[in-house]
Amino acid sequence: MTGIDDFLASVVMREALAPATLIAIVASSISVMVLAHRLAFMTVGVSHATLAGLGFAVAFSLPLLPSAAFTAVAVALILALLSPKRGINEDAATGVLFAGAMALGIVLLSGANRHDVDLFGLLFGNILMVSDEDRFWLQCGSAVAMISLLWLAKPWWSMAFDSTSMRAMGLPVQRYRLLLYAVVGLTVVMCVKLAGIVLTAGLLVLPAASAWLWGRGLISIWVISLLLSLGGTWTGLYISYVFDWPSGATVVLVLCAVFLVSRISYWLIHHKETLRRHH
Amino acid sequence: MSAPAIRLNHIAFGPPAARILDHIDLQLDAGHFLGIVGPNGAGKSTLLHIICGLIEPDEGHIDLFGECLSRNSRKRLLGQLRFLPQRQDGIAAMPIRVHHVVAMGLNAAHGPLWRKNPQRDIIEQALERTGMAAHADTDFRALSGGQQQRVRLARALVASPRILLLDEPAAALDSPAQDKLYKLLRKLCDEMQMAIVMVEHDIAAISDYVDSVACLNRRIHHHAMHGETIPEQVWHDMYGDHMHVMAHDAHCIGCESNEGVPNDAAPHESTPHKHTPHGTGT
Repeated sequence: MTGIDDFLASVVMREALAPATLIAIVASSISVMVLAHRLAFMTVGVSHATLAGLGFAVAFSLPLLPSAAFTAVAVALILALLSPKRGINEDAATGVLFAGAMALGIVLLSGANRHDVDLFGLLFGNILMVSDEDRFWLQCGSAVAMISLLWLAKPWWSMAFDSTSMRAMGLPVQRYRLLLYAVVGLTVVMCVKLAGIVLTAGLLVLPAASAWLWGRGLISIWVISLLLSLGGTWTGLYISYVFDWPSGATVVLVLCAVFLVSRISYWLIHHKETLRRHH
Repeated sequence: MSAPAIRLNHIAFGPPAARILDHIDLQLDAGHFLGIVGPNGAGKSTLLHIICGLIEPDEGHIDLFGECLSRNSRKRLLGQLRFLPQRQDGIAAMPIRVHHVVAMGLNAAHGPLWRKNPQRDIIEQALERTGMAAHADTDFRALSGGQQQRVRLARALVASPRILLLDEPAAALDSPAQDKLYKLLRKLCDEMQMAIVMVEHDIAAISDYVDSVACLNRRIHHHAMHGETIPEQVWHDMYGDHMHVMAHDAHCIGCESNEGVPNDAAPHESTPHKHTPHGTGT
């Protein structure tokens, strides 16, 4: 069986490790807020809507990641502004934007030269082909997302708990909400590089969902989520190298396994405690 | 003389043809404890939401501490006010410790992560006031509904606000806990000069503690001070004609004795906490 040494000796894998680690850190950190604010479906919608941005980028020869980032943030902000209004709830708005933007992306990409577009890479991720330009944009996006999170994690967490009381004490809740949606949108785009449009939600939901039962508050959930995400991403990359599986899908599969193990072990521990109490 | 803590002038909310609130004029000084009663859909919670700036009224304006509540003054004025909304079941789903919930009531708890957390002793004092000090490190989700409500009350009190708005705070509490809550609120008014507005359904339960009661159903039908009698017609106007008034309590605001003499004039005290307005239509 291929060893760790071979894995680390592979230039492709070594080059993929740093951006994948960066994405794992940012995605798992933001995933805490995605879970707290119940934005899982919103991340699915925004990730699919980025196809429109990528379509425009390919059609008009614009840089891919910034165009996708612009679309994702714009779609996320539209959802944040639409949802409080009456007449359309966030689920329906997400569904409409998700389908519309994806359809637009497919139409735009259909006109492009087949060699210009790595459709499989866009849909399912391709962390093994990271250009210097991609790396630069990933670093910029990560910096913005992490600084925002360090700055606003506490009010975001409080808003998830009780936004009415927070508004009543004068906190600019709507402004914080817009910023949260924008940061989630930005993070979605970064995850697309690793897991692709279809699997991005996995990176933004699974780490915190696995940590949710074990944490006792914001910081503990954040730390557990971070550790699980890093472990899952590195293991996933290693497995994908060993078995020659697609990297993004393997990482998401490993994170799914982590989630299942987390749930089952929590249930077993608590079930045991309950049984002990009954005896 | 200092400006009133709250002054509402000609507040109206809702479309002109179907107002939810209309012609609301109300003034509350520091240290005053006001109870608001009224049937379901009377606009009680809406009025509280308007006072704390969650909803903008369609007409009229709100002064807090003598200053108009506007976009510019909002943060400063609302920083001295706390609102305890009606209990919602959904909010308990997050993993969070009790002392972190209480800390949310302090502005200092909403800064960047690298800034120091608020002092623990302030939080513990607030929890002590509501009898929850022993649970400071407990997971909020593990508490009963009544205990959660007491923690939320501690969160509202932790910043020692000058105005406190409470929307049915006793809904999840048992009878002794309700009494304790009302006594605590009375004490806060007397000792800290806090102005309190509390929406409740049970006028008899609160009448021993409040300074006045406003009877609300779209508009304020009557604003009775402690010891004042509320005419029976007011209850009929608010709750409809399918109700009758039963008097139980010597200190009950708005109650009359069987002989038609206000109960405050009665020489003896009777047991409080009986319901005053009863009716099949409410």
